[in-house]
Amino acid sequence: MSATTAAVRPAGYSLVTIGARGRFLLHRRATAVAASLVVLLAVVCVAYLCVGESFVAPSEVLNVILGRPSADELVVGTLRMPRMVVGLLVGLAFGIAGALIQTVARNPLASPDIIGISQGASALTVGAMTFGITSYTVLPYLSVIGGVAAAALVYAFAWRGGLHATRFVLIGIGFAIALRSVTTLFLTKGDYLVAQQAQIWMTGSLNGRGYDEAAPIGWTLLILLPAVLWAARAQRSVSMDDDTATALGVRLGRVRLGLVALGVILASVATGTAGPVDFVALLAPQIARRMTRTAQNPLLCSALLGAVIVVFADLLARRLFSPTELPVGVLTAAVGAPYLIWLIIRGHGGRSGGNA
Amino acid sequence: MTTTRQQDTATSRLTVRELTLAYEDRTVVHELDLAVPDGKVTVIVGPNACGKSTTLRALGRLLKPRGGAVLLDGTELSKIPTKKIAQSIGLLPQTPVAPEAITVSDLVARGRQPHQHWWQQWSQEDERAVTEAMERTDITALGSRSVDELSGGQRQRVWIAMALAQDTDLLLLDEPTTYLDIAHQVEVLDLVRRLAAPAADGTRGRTVVTVLHDLNQAARYADHLVAMKAGRIVAEGHPQDVVTAELVREVFGLEAVIVPDPVTGSPLVVPGAPWQPTPSS
Repeated sequence: MSATTAAVRPAGYSLVTIGARGRFLLHRRATAVAASLVVLLAVVCVAYLCVGESFVAPSEVLNVILGRPSADELVVGTLRMPRMVVGLLVGLAFGIAGALIQTVARNPLASPDIIGISQGASALTVGAMTFGITSYTVLPYLSVIGGVAAAALVYAFAWRGGLHATRFVLIGIGFAIALRSVTTLFLTKGDYLVAQQAQIWMTGSLNGRGYDEAAPIGWTLLILLPAVLWAARAQRSVSMDDDTATALGVRLGRVRLGLVALGVILASVATGTAGPVDFVALLAPQIARRMTRTAQNPLLCSALLGAVIVVFADLLARRLFSPTELPVGVLTAAVGAPYLIWLIIRGHGGRSGGNA
Repeated sequence: MTTTRQQDTATSRLTVRELTLAYEDRTVVHELDLAVPDGKVTVIVGPNACGKSTTLRALGRLLKPRGGAVLLDGTELSKIPTKKIAQSIGLLPQTPVAPEAITVSDLVARGRQPHQHWWQQWSQEDERAVTEAMERTDITALGSRSVDELSGGQRQRVWIAMALAQDTDLLLLDEPTTYLDIAHQVEVLDLVRRLAAPAADGTRGRTVVTVLHDLNQAARYADHLVAMKAGRIVAEGHPQDVVTAELVREVFGLEAVIVPDPVTGSPLVVPGAPWQPTPSS
């Protein structure tokens, strides 16, 4: 490398050269944060597997994870592990979905549980429950359909010759309220026991979830991985105002639709798996971005942080009032709601980058 | 009106043919013809709402024509892939918005986007263009600062640097001096002039099209002045030939005296009727 002294590179990025032509920019701080989050996630996961009605030593947990024979195989491998895997995958999906939707809406308040996606999933799922469909093999698919349909409606109504970010969020909030009342209608119409079951689902719970639920969301994440990699780069280009982005040769309409579609699918699948675990999609990208100090929501860090939040929240949910198990959504909401209020209070005057 | 006034200048990569522009059902620009002279500074002036910014947006394909076309090298913009256009035409909107907390060098580097691929996010060429753009706009020292914390003048220079890093032959600037104090206005306009100046080896400079509010600044900095009123071109040509008392009266409805600028000799517009105190009763 000829080191010209004055050469400028985007501040905070390092150049990684792969092969003859591959040249990638890596944000140093984001990389460090991602590495730390992987370690944190591993610690939280091991803790999750250790703690329960009986305490299992970390060494035994590691034995089970590594497939070595262990006396605690039943408790760790069969009872705790499947539920943790579901939580982990749901957290990853919500983290990515939240980051993508916030990017397109250019609004930290936009997340699947605020702009109607979770409510769409809830409405259809609860509706199906009251009509007697209670099988957990069918319900997740219904909530995916409900979520995607709600998002499509919001997108269609917000579209007027172009996507206006604020209109997108406001119409989403409107739909969320409307769909919530539809859900309430189903709840009051339905059978008492069904209503109770639906209520628990709607809070977002990992109770009773296992590998059967983990498989679809796991496959979805794996299949969508190339799309997520595309999104990580494409996100950069939609973070500026429309005119500047277009002037830089970005096909805004397409890129935005692609990003929203990806976010909606991930959020809907996650909701189908565990119910709408509130605020994870809202919190993860915002906290991740504050940690990495990048100019856009860091996808990988959002995903990892989402997983940390869900797994840790479920650990608390299982143990805090044991033997009563709380739905994990109660805990994420307890932390998320105050944060949301803080975001709104800070929101006015916080955004100073515009015209001046 | 639409006859070719333009024969004195040799070539035009960017031309406009019978361009009609409209928002919803309100027509803003009517069958406009224009040839942007290569390697020159073209300034569009006119009263508020005369369609000058709208025309500039159409030149940069931000607004689709209702009728007619904008042509780049003879091909309609709508038939060229937008990334391809971005390799020839750079555009700076009136109020660009940067992502929160972005650093100066990161923002300038984003101007390289049309030249990059997902597997090649940073080439030697990118580095050269960004370094040069930041040097020309004198913001090299600000590289790792956050754009949010800069002053208005600095921020405008950063945006211009981003457009420069795009390394396009044509550069469209929509009122680049808005929000700037007079010293910074002059600084930005001097920079625009330098961009259009031929290089030392004789290759022609960039083609700049800009919208300006101030008629005197336009007369001072333009090679080619385009005066618009109510969506039509009223006059165009070198400021010496175009800026007359009649034109100012016709376009702005202002009685004015034209005197030579004491510094550059370019036409200087001085409002003709002195201010009178309103007789108070």
